[in-house]
Amino acid sequence: MNLLQQFLDGFVRVQGWLLDHVVQPPLLALGLGSYLEVAFDGVEFFLYGVLQLSVAYLLLRPLEALRPVEQWTDRKAVRVDVLYTFLDRLGIIPLAVFALLSPVFLGLEGWLRFHDIIPPQIEDLLPSLEAYPLVSFFIYLLILDFAEYWRHRLSHTLRWWWALHVIHHSQRQMSLWTDSRNHLLDDLIGGAWFAIIALCIGVPPGHFVGLMVAVRIVENLAHVNARISFGRWGEQMLVSPRYHRWHHAVDLPPGRAYRLGCNFAILFPIWDRLFGTQYLGEGMPATGVRSPELASPAHADRFWVQQKDGLLGFGKALRAALSPRRLP
Amino acid sequence: MPSSLRRMLRQLASLAGLLCTLAVQAAPPLAIALNSADGTISLIDMAAYKTIGKAVACKEPHHLMPSPDDKSVIVACSASNQLVFFDPLTGKEQRRIRNISDPYQLGFSPDGKWFVSNSLRLDRVDLYNAADFKLRARLHAPRTPSHMAFDANSKFVFITLQDSNEVMAIDLKTMKKAWVMPVGPTPAGIVMTPDNRYLLVAIMGEGYVEVIDWKTQQTVKKVPTDTAAHNLHPRGDGRYYFVSNRSVGGGSISLLDTKTMAVVEKYDVPGGPDDMEVRADGKELWATARFARRVQVVDLTTKTLKASIPVGSSPHGVFFLDHAPRK
Repeated sequence: MNLLQQFLDGFVRVQGWLLDHVVQPPLLALGLGSYLEVAFDGVEFFLYGVLQLSVAYLLLRPLEALRPVEQWTDRKAVRVDVLYTFLDRLGIIPLAVFALLSPVFLGLEGWLRFHDIIPPQIEDLLPSLEAYPLVSFFIYLLILDFAEYWRHRLSHTLRWWWALHVIHHSQRQMSLWTDSRNHLLDDLIGGAWFAIIALCIGVPPGHFVGLMVAVRIVENLAHVNARISFGRWGEQMLVSPRYHRWHHAVDLPPGRAYRLGCNFAILFPIWDRLFGTQYLGEGMPATGVRSPELASPAHADRFWVQQKDGLLGFGKALRAALSPRRLP
Repeated sequence: MPSSLRRMLRQLASLAGLLCTLAVQAAPPLAIALNSADGTISLIDMAAYKTIGKAVACKEPHHLMPSPDDKSVIVACSASNQLVFFDPLTGKEQRRIRNISDPYQLGFSPDGKWFVSNSLRLDRVDLYNAADFKLRARLHAPRTPSHMAFDANSKFVFITLQDSNEVMAIDLKTMKKAWVMPVGPTPAGIVMTPDNRYLLVAIMGEGYVEVIDWKTQQTVKKVPTDTAAHNLHPRGDGRYYFVSNRSVGGGSISLLDTKTMAVVEKYDVPGGPDDMEVRADGKELWATARFARRVQVVDLTTKTLKASIPVGSSPHGVFFLDHAPRK
């Protein structure tokens, strides 16, 4: 038996044990047996999360120790990011987002389909792709990354959205854990964005779970506290820690193009290059935002304070946007 | 072209055809397993109990079924909105039909006129002409229409509604809902008994088979099988049905006697047995172990697991030509 098969068998055994002993009994007891298949996928997502976190930690933590950009004596502020990461990667936040959004988007998709509206897929336009799922995987990856670029850019452009997204940027001790540090409402909006894109390209969001897990290792790498760049050419191909660090810089690069931020790309920097938001800076700038409230110790390491601050800022920005403007 | 040359070409063509036939006949008997999470089919050498190849199917295929003439295996591609036809002898793709919206579970009516497709995710049942796959009617079926069965005269198709704990009957003449009746929690597999009297419904939530007199819409019996009773498949003798109990750890398959409506045998089949197929000689039962990435083969003589064949992720359907009659 080859190594891959042994790994798969071991993985499936653990997955089966968890489903059999932890998930299946309450589901059947509550009359939710039809969710067993979803639960099985959920357990798989959880295990992939554990695996992905282990790989990220084992690969990236040594890099942070060997080539740190910043040395921190007090890592308290990092710990809250670890909490965000576990909630996100192990499926707790994604499950909540799925439970909230699923009825809405299933209803919408059901209505569209009932009226014979089937969004065309890539393979409908290029049938030869049916035989090359890897190529079609890469095309979907490009489409989703393009959509993510615009979601991210909009979250810096719209004030109400920035009030939520700023929680991600308020971290001054940016590390491999920072990627998942997001306001819960920001996660929900991100989930809705993703579901809309999936609806437009005609593929259910669940289809992309494997793809998202793979992408997230790159996202962990992008936030790592280590002096790593991919060089000028490499940084045109894939987002590097240096490239993304400039996105998190306290002081944005000069120029009108960067007034709301730079380097919004998640995976492929090509989008920044195409839409004029790319900044290929030297050095490793300090990260965070210039806000006395968000830089305060009370905000720095407390999950619920961050959630509250985000909501308050969101409400304020929304009220300002909705109130009639005064004439000068 | 001179007639001698034409004759020679004809003979060459016949020879080539004969060689192809011999090559196919010499090939090992093939089983096809559908891997839902991988979007592939696994090709299994039935003599060696070994996967010998894989072929790309589509995005999120769920369930496969043979065409009425057994010349194709039809895969329901729910996320690709397609039906993909494979040659059961070689595993090669034959054709694709697009714009079949979200097919999950498929069925042909016994009279060969209707092709029915359930969309489990989007709460819908679609009725097509079996001859040309033209959509005839589309019905709301809340919630989660799962498996289906037909009556012997092709007047009705019966659908289990997994999340609303019901069975829905659709009148194929009017193409409208005829009735809906409540059943046990989380109904899944459904079949009609060979005498056309009872519907057998696997009740996953409580692990039994519910026997329904469909003409009066009354439940006449509940036959306990095992945890997570999920699907039913005929042994081929017009009397016995296998019931897969799709629990992960303690998974099993029960044998139900439809004359006495009692379980007469049970086999341990780990990994969440789901869809099944029986060898024509009645000696082997093959089942996809949904949660174990395997196809399990039960020796029906010794009543033990004979082989466990690694396939892809979330196997959801198995078929081979050398199968027992569907009765």
